[in-house]
Amino acid sequence: MRTAINLVLALSLVLGTSAFAEIPDPREMTFAEQQFTPPATERFVLDNGMVVHFLPATEPPVITVEVLFHAGTLYEPKKTVGVFELMATAMRTAGAGERGPTQMDSDLEALAASISSSAGDEQVSFSMRSLAEDFGQCLGLLRDILLEPAFDSAVLARETSNKRDWILRQNDNPGSVTRRVYYQTVYADHPYANYATLESIDRIDRDLVLERHRRFIRPDNCILAVAGAISLEDLQTHLDQAFGEWQADGSPLPKMQEWTGFGSEPGVYYAEKDINQANFRFGHLCLDHKHPDRHAFEVMNFALGGSGFTSRLTKQVRTTAGLAYSVGSWHYNRAHAGTFFGYCQTRADQFGKALNMMLDIVAEVHGKGITQEELDLAHSSLTASYVFNYTTPARIVNAKAQLEFSGFPEDQLERDLEGLKAVTLEDCRRVAREHLDPDKVIIVVTGKRDMFDSQLEDLGKVTVVDMEIK
Amino acid sequence: MKRPLAILIVFATLAIVAASSLAGDFKIEVEEFKLDNGMTFLVVQRPMAPVFAGYIGVQVGSAYEKIGNIGSAHLLEHMMFKGSQNVGTTNYVAERALMVQEDSVWQLIDSASQELPYLTVNNPELVAAANAHIEALRKTLDSLSGESSQYVVQNEFDGIYTANGSAQFNASTGYDYTDYYVSLPANRLELWFNLESDRLLKPAFREFFPERDVVSEERRLSVENNSDSKLFEQFIGTAFIAHPYQLFWEWQSEVHALTRADMEHFFKTYYVPSRMVAAVVGDVQLEEVKQLAEKYFGRLPKGTRPEPIYAREPEQRGERRVEVIYEASPAVFVGYHKTAFDHPDEPAFHVLQSILADGRTSRLYQTLVLEDELCLDISADVFPGGTLGDMHAGLFCIYAYPKEGVTTSQVEEGIYRVLDKVATELVTAEELAKVKKRLKADYIWSAYSNMGLAGRLAMAHTLARDWRYGLTLSDRMETVTAEQIRDVASRYLIKSNRTVATLVPKEEEVTQ
Repeated sequence: MRTAINLVLALSLVLGTSAFAEIPDPREMTFAEQQFTPPATERFVLDNGMVVHFLPATEPPVITVEVLFHAGTLYEPKKTVGVFELMATAMRTAGAGERGPTQMDSDLEALAASISSSAGDEQVSFSMRSLAEDFGQCLGLLRDILLEPAFDSAVLARETSNKRDWILRQNDNPGSVTRRVYYQTVYADHPYANYATLESIDRIDRDLVLERHRRFIRPDNCILAVAGAISLEDLQTHLDQAFGEWQADGSPLPKMQEWTGFGSEPGVYYAEKDINQANFRFGHLCLDHKHPDRHAFEVMNFALGGSGFTSRLTKQVRTTAGLAYSVGSWHYNRAHAGTFFGYCQTRADQFGKALNMMLDIVAEVHGKGITQEELDLAHSSLTASYVFNYTTPARIVNAKAQLEFSGFPEDQLERDLEGLKAVTLEDCRRVAREHLDPDKVIIVVTGKRDMFDSQLEDLGKVTVVDMEIK
Repeated sequence: MKRPLAILIVFATLAIVAASSLAGDFKIEVEEFKLDNGMTFLVVQRPMAPVFAGYIGVQVGSAYEKIGNIGSAHLLEHMMFKGSQNVGTTNYVAERALMVQEDSVWQLIDSASQELPYLTVNNPELVAAANAHIEALRKTLDSLSGESSQYVVQNEFDGIYTANGSAQFNASTGYDYTDYYVSLPANRLELWFNLESDRLLKPAFREFFPERDVVSEERRLSVENNSDSKLFEQFIGTAFIAHPYQLFWEWQSEVHALTRADMEHFFKTYYVPSRMVAAVVGDVQLEEVKQLAEKYFGRLPKGTRPEPIYAREPEQRGERRVEVIYEASPAVFVGYHKTAFDHPDEPAFHVLQSILADGRTSRLYQTLVLEDELCLDISADVFPGGTLGDMHAGLFCIYAYPKEGVTTSQVEEGIYRVLDKVATELVTAEELAKVKKRLKADYIWSAYSNMGLAGRLAMAHTLARDWRYGLTLSDRMETVTAEQIRDVASRYLIKSNRTVATLVPKEEEVTQ
């Protein structure tokens, strides 16, 4: 113990603190901005047009690869939504190159490596994780999956049938019902509202999947991100070997159409489910991901409901009133149309109370903006936590690839930080006034209306959502 | 402030279970030291990014609760976010006086409520007056809360972390562990020591009654209106009859009986330094961590050793079955009692489990999803300890989701065919090689994120009183043979040791 006290004393002297082992008040502790230099990533383009972002890292001895393709629901007519999900799944599971479906699985698992695929609204992506020692072999498998998927008919039929079965389960849990109905309503007549249905899945055949693969999975339509224990030279050799002969056919790249005039009337959209909570969201269309006001909106929403325990919604609805475990607001700044919404789940007979409390808080911020104290907290938090964008090699390089994919300049992360720092109290007040609209919200609630403390009709025009699975 | 759902956590990646020899040249260097009060610190210096993860594991969880304080472990974990007698208040003395008043009003509400059933039977004419009395007391309680709010600096503990750029700030309550964790920029190391030691040294359970409602709402969200949890709750409640692992989540009826005194008692009993381990992983210096640990956590009093859990689950003598009728699609969960982490059968069981359920080429997935097309999905894990193993004898659990038109009994039969096969025939050399390669990869991947590594080290140390347990486990698995796997399968994966839970869709039940 004596030694330990001496150590503490020695430390105090080194740090120049005068008091002997005095415990500072944590509120008074101040720290300089954490200095760091984001590691520089490499960018290069293969002869066939593939863009590659790369960050070497010595340890641990693993390598990650992300491949992003411009494809997804936004490129698909409503009647065949689901085709990109099926395509992405079957590329991985229905055989590729010389390997049948089972061989692909066992070769990957013998290397303790993984390749997974996913399809979203404007992106189809593939992720690979491998030990550094197996990189070449694993990249060969990824190459086959991208270039030579077999789309084995029997496997494709199984994946199609599984997709149908998942759709049949889409009403099982209230959280996913509320989420789906909210997007279907707020984005009505925009492809962001489109979800695969039994009918759309039934319209998809192998030929359609092959056609989408031919048109979208091409070297001039993708961006790669590679991070891990490999040198630039070795990586280039491997990539040339895997993708050197892959050529685009010269046809024009698929284009997205433009959408206008979408969305639904404000009001209450009621999804009936026999549960003892009201699971709800309310909100409206809002800024997209490149809107000049997005930094100010992020700072404003941080104080309103985006920051967890320091936000107004959490403090009032959760901490003071004890009405909910999970409550807050979010700005989903999607590429083609953003949305702002509040979310909450509360005991059914507290629905009206919680909803009105939340709407009042949004209205207050809409009218008066946020306080200087809230702005200061948002600034210090967003600035200090910025370093967490740079914690793992994969995270750093994947972010770079995503930025280019979405058409942002390569130093956008740094620009965002400057943008956030520059936000003023007046900016927050203005964006709250211009972009929040608490009087014209779409309210989606899942639950049982006869258990609610409010008449739905008192909250707005009521639409009963058709829950039948078609 | 979440509680992990065993069934929702996919233990696809193993913890550090690979011997360093398997992992080639790559080694995770862990430094360990212990304070005089018994608290252990584990440090991994990883300078890659100027951040660190701080993780505190306490050896206590819902398994330590008894009738009368069910829910204490979880609600206490929530209360630990209320700050301290220093953080979160402008005047703790005044606040404390109001808390005492609140608590006595609550006692009156509670005892009046206990009398209601007797009044209903014996003196029904007095019920209305009693209810009015309770209502008036509730109003008094609310006004006392209102009065306290003048001293409360709401969520200040969180606010200080937030202002300093925290990430991944949360906690979780399990059966044998409760964890508190956060990531911060590297130059905030002393802030972490300060805030964490402060709430452990002088906790303050302010805003107690609304927080109790929050926990109640959390149960509604995570259990009562979640089909998997709803089924799982009945599943383990059926599988365990003696051991406290039987309780998946505190019951709604018991949450509202908890008091601030329960929190204080539970905290004082179990939150003692000898039951705590802190893991600090990231861009930190070992010497500085040592000095700060002594300065801040050295202040915690030693405390006394609490009673251990004596209950042991008796041998199961026959299959148990349970149904849950709910508005969701069918599911079937199958469980087999297994041994605790220290049992000689554990390594073979671990390899068996991996061969059965890890990955698309695993026996269960390959057979039921890919070949026979009976299931949409199937997975398995070890409850409640996951890959590292269980503190006390746990359950090997299989979770299956039938395809449309397939009955749960067809799925069950399919599962039993797979299990019978591993109990009668030897697994292949390729399967054994695959598991060993996976162990090597998982050891390496476990070092990929600060928080992941911190959590694994703290958990292994809490479980086995030595973080190296992970490496020992792996060494033991290295020698597991195909014969041992068959032997373990034939002794544990048998009908008399089985519990089966099925989710029956509501509409189906109505038509039957």
